[in-house]
Amino acid sequence: MRLTIISMLAAATALAMALPASAQPPPPPATGPVPSAEPPPRADAPLSSDTSAPSVPGGAPSASRDPGRVEPTEVTKGQDAMRTVKEAPQTHEGHFEFGSYGRVYAASDLRGGLGRGTNVVAFGPRIVDEGSYAELELRREDKFNDKVKSRIVATLALFPPFFHFTGKPEQAIGVRNLYAQGTYDKATIWAGSRMYRGDDIYLLNWWPLDNQNTVGGGVGGPVYRAEDGSQETILQGHVGQQRLDNPYQFQQIPVVAPIGFGTVDVTKLDRPRTIETFKATHLVRPGGGPAGFKAILYGELHQLAAGVFRDPLTNVDRGLPNDSGWMLGSQLTYFTGKRDTFASLVMRHARGIAAYDPLAVPITFALDRTVSGASETQVAASGNFETDVFSVMAAGYVRFFRDGSPGETSTQKYDEGALVARPNVFFGEHFGLSVEGSYQQRRIAIQNPNGDGPLTASVFKAGVIPYFSPAGRGSFKRPQIRLLYVASFRDSGTRGLYPLEDVFAQRSVEHFAGVGAEWWFNSSSYP
Amino acid sequence: MKSRASSQQRKPASAALLSALVLAACVAPGTGCVDVPAEGAQPKLGTHVGDWRDEVIYQVLIDRFANGDVNNDYGVRPGHLARFQGGDWRGLTDHLDYIKELGVTTLWISPIVKNVETDADVDSYHGYWAQDLSQLNPHFGDIADLRRLTSRAHDMGLKVVLDIVTNHMGQVFYYDTNLNGNPDIYIGGSGALPVVSSRSDLSRITEYDPDWDPKGVQAFTSLGPAGRAPLIFFQDPSINRVPPPGLLGTARAYHGFGRILDYDDEKQRTLGDFPGGLKDVATELPEVRDEMIDLYTRWVELVDLDGFRIDTVKHVEYEFWTEFGTRVRERLLRQNKNRFLMFGEAFDGNDQLLGSYTQEGMLDSVFYFSQHYQVFRDVFMRAPMENEQKGTEQIASLWAQRQKNYRNEAQPNGIGVAPSRALVNFMDNHDVARFLFEAQNDKDVLRNALVLLMTEEGIPCLYYGTEQDFAGGNDPANREVLWETGFATSGETFRHFAKLARTRASYEALRRGDTNVVWSSSHVGGEEDAGIIAYERTGGDAGDAYALVVINTNNRKDSATAEGNEVMKLGAGARGTLVDVLDPERKTYPVPASGELRVTVPKQRAMILVPEGSVKD
Repeated sequence: MRLTIISMLAAATALAMALPASAQPPPPPATGPVPSAEPPPRADAPLSSDTSAPSVPGGAPSASRDPGRVEPTEVTKGQDAMRTVKEAPQTHEGHFEFGSYGRVYAASDLRGGLGRGTNVVAFGPRIVDEGSYAELELRREDKFNDKVKSRIVATLALFPPFFHFTGKPEQAIGVRNLYAQGTYDKATIWAGSRMYRGDDIYLLNWWPLDNQNTVGGGVGGPVYRAEDGSQETILQGHVGQQRLDNPYQFQQIPVVAPIGFGTVDVTKLDRPRTIETFKATHLVRPGGGPAGFKAILYGELHQLAAGVFRDPLTNVDRGLPNDSGWMLGSQLTYFTGKRDTFASLVMRHARGIAAYDPLAVPITFALDRTVSGASETQVAASGNFETDVFSVMAAGYVRFFRDGSPGETSTQKYDEGALVARPNVFFGEHFGLSVEGSYQQRRIAIQNPNGDGPLTASVFKAGVIPYFSPAGRGSFKRPQIRLLYVASFRDSGTRGLYPLEDVFAQRSVEHFAGVGAEWWFNSSSYP
Repeated sequence: MKSRASSQQRKPASAALLSALVLAACVAPGTGCVDVPAEGAQPKLGTHVGDWRDEVIYQVLIDRFANGDVNNDYGVRPGHLARFQGGDWRGLTDHLDYIKELGVTTLWISPIVKNVETDADVDSYHGYWAQDLSQLNPHFGDIADLRRLTSRAHDMGLKVVLDIVTNHMGQVFYYDTNLNGNPDIYIGGSGALPVVSSRSDLSRITEYDPDWDPKGVQAFTSLGPAGRAPLIFFQDPSINRVPPPGLLGTARAYHGFGRILDYDDEKQRTLGDFPGGLKDVATELPEVRDEMIDLYTRWVELVDLDGFRIDTVKHVEYEFWTEFGTRVRERLLRQNKNRFLMFGEAFDGNDQLLGSYTQEGMLDSVFYFSQHYQVFRDVFMRAPMENEQKGTEQIASLWAQRQKNYRNEAQPNGIGVAPSRALVNFMDNHDVARFLFEAQNDKDVLRNALVLLMTEEGIPCLYYGTEQDFAGGNDPANREVLWETGFATSGETFRHFAKLARTRASYEALRRGDTNVVWSSSHVGGEEDAGIIAYERTGGDAGDAYALVVINTNNRKDSATAEGNEVMKLGAGARGTLVDVLDPERKTYPVPASGELRVTVPKQRAMILVPEGSVKD
């Protein structure tokens, strides 16, 4: 009951803050896939939210990055992130849009097998590990008058393997967006199933501050705007739910049919996670120029009701207690407004169930079977710098995850971090060469079998990426068609994470040589 | 080596930067880098025991004692005692206060190594189905949890003894007797009663656990015998039924004779598989002995254990025990671990057989199984049944054989006490029905038997749950879940045992004194002395310390230490006044110069009498 009230209050608060969102905060999002299933399961890391492509902080505006934003085709072009909606005709206008994000790779390990991901951290470099993935978006845009607009978005995600690889006409498809959004004057409201998130770190394929994948709704819009356009404050709120098909949240059991023969299924356990998010964004563009700062304060509340499930081993009903959590985070970004150059710093701290990605469930618990003792603290930084012939992207993070289990030792208690840099040289307008180096490490609170102290696993990667960019120069210009070679150097701790039967337990160097492509265009989720 | 070390130090700049970032973040408020607790680090070996006769062993079935971490509750089925229940090392560590309050001083923990998970719908919650002797069983925790247990136990003055099995491994292979590559079970015949005209005998042949064959389990085809059946290792990772690593994952490490049918046949006993398909290891092979000695001693070194309880010793050839005992002691001695206790389990009432495993170089002690049968079963458990109860002279008779049947000198580099004086006394354990089950739930009998257990010569061993009046029948009913009692310490049996433990600790005579039986009787009926056993504990390593224990095992009447004119006569150490320290009122008994003492003991009650001047609060 208490949880329900909290949820309702949170929702009411979010709705009360509803104000229009005409201005688009500069740096936007991208996404991170879950490194393929090699390393041990990471209950804290997003397991299935992996999807998307990058956004370009401070880069070219996108009509569809912000939930409060509509009509990307009507956005004022240029570097002005404080752009406004153009004057529109009074008559109804409507049209369909198609957008997409995608990446597809083919690679060898140079030993006769497939190239394989080598990350040991939750948010390691996307190179090698990101795998193939694509989204197809169909969107309906309508403008009814100058104040009233709407958008309906349907995004289908395609997960590998694809037909030409397996020969099987089977395709895993996920619905990543299915929502409707309406704007009245400056206030925007939406409802449906939606990826709802902020800025990403492209090199890590990761949204370090906010990345919601829920079914729910939200509101948003600017609450303050300087007359000269140099400052603006935007508030956003959202309430969403998830009930993963997992015995932690959902269970159906067969019972004798009340009428006639046979059985019918009844829902025994039904406890969705309810999540409320709040986001305040303040933009500053001194003198109204293209450069500026963005500061974000972000928070989440999570609730999970108590429930009862039937233990399939004993057919005895067992209780699960209610659980809750919170997260507080912030972001500070500087952007030049030119050539996608920016620098960003994100910090966040989460407690309880909020320490776990909503698309994953905890796998370890306290004695009372809650995760109230769990926590996650992370600091992440990223940036991009470009000149005419040269660019460099860099990113890094440290993260401290602690599960709620009573033991001092646990595979779910660890520190981790990664550093990655990708310098790039442009050759002419359409060709370039990137090199990438990275280092990642996870320290796990289990006894190192080869000595005292925690088990430490680390990977160093070095790679080279020559590419063709039909859209021209730029780290964030797509499509990009690439050749790719990366070597991963894996220490004994990393190898020790794999069963002896796995060649990854034996080999200290892994190769990834292949070809791939990445694109994004006209997507509401990506620029 | 030097170049390798230096190359490791030349980390890439990114590694150094990341490390710096992590360290910086680690010192941030509310954070802190992960680590394993200091208790989880490799311990420095030490000797934690003075005289093992001062110890009171408490047998813990880890899966049943306390659940300290629900995250290792894999496959747990609460309430189904043949399945995992969820206990772990952390749970035991978290309840060491309970152990201390009970008064026991040494924990005997069930096996720790990785097992085949399940077989025939029964789980390996007990730990005796080893699959990998080099890995810990994740059901019970990790190495840090185990080290934390031993470390905290030692800090609290407790010792830890590990249960090990050298005789056999779990059911890791089958005998492919029909050469078809599948593990088959054949059941034939109707099994109908003879009155049925179509009767045919029921026969069962199983390749999992075939019967003993002196030629080795044989294969056959439709044309006849085909020689020794190949041993095929299972490959079922879902239940960890996979080949053990190394030598124990090869057929030559096993005897392959099939299941023991006749326990009196020494060849079957030492070469046959243990019932349940537990495969008999070829312990006579030098390389197998090396493996067993190394793998098990390694756990002592990794965890700082204080002793081994060794399973099924009578199923292993004697030479093995000489080599095992000698080499384990020598290896540990080099690491400053002295008085490492090794006691064996020979599930047999034959006192001579038990003693045979204490020959020079072998074991420091064995479970006193003959006493379990002849004393605790015949005299105590059967006390409620007059016609079945045996007189206490059987106790005296058995005890009189100690010096004859067991080694009377300490083992070289052993615990410093002769096996005949350090037998491990027990009333019941995980392999037999609980005392109360056999004693028709008569708690007076139980508490009286505990007096004998805690005052007789040797090392007492209490099976967990006895203090909570557990009364389960045979396996697995005798393996109840202790945490369901709430770890109550107010029960009468708990308090009784705790008092006995305090008494034993207070009076050296009860721990180290020699035994002199001063009264026993063949009577179990209405006779004056029916059910009385009285023995002095004095001399030996206890010097002049003195205690007299008088127990009335009769369930129906008060009995005395006399019959007619014949009165119990005490030794020279018992003069002056004796005080019953078991009696809350501390009743006194003057001993005349003649040393004759007639005391009457209520039915199923006991006295512990010590000289008035040596009484301790």
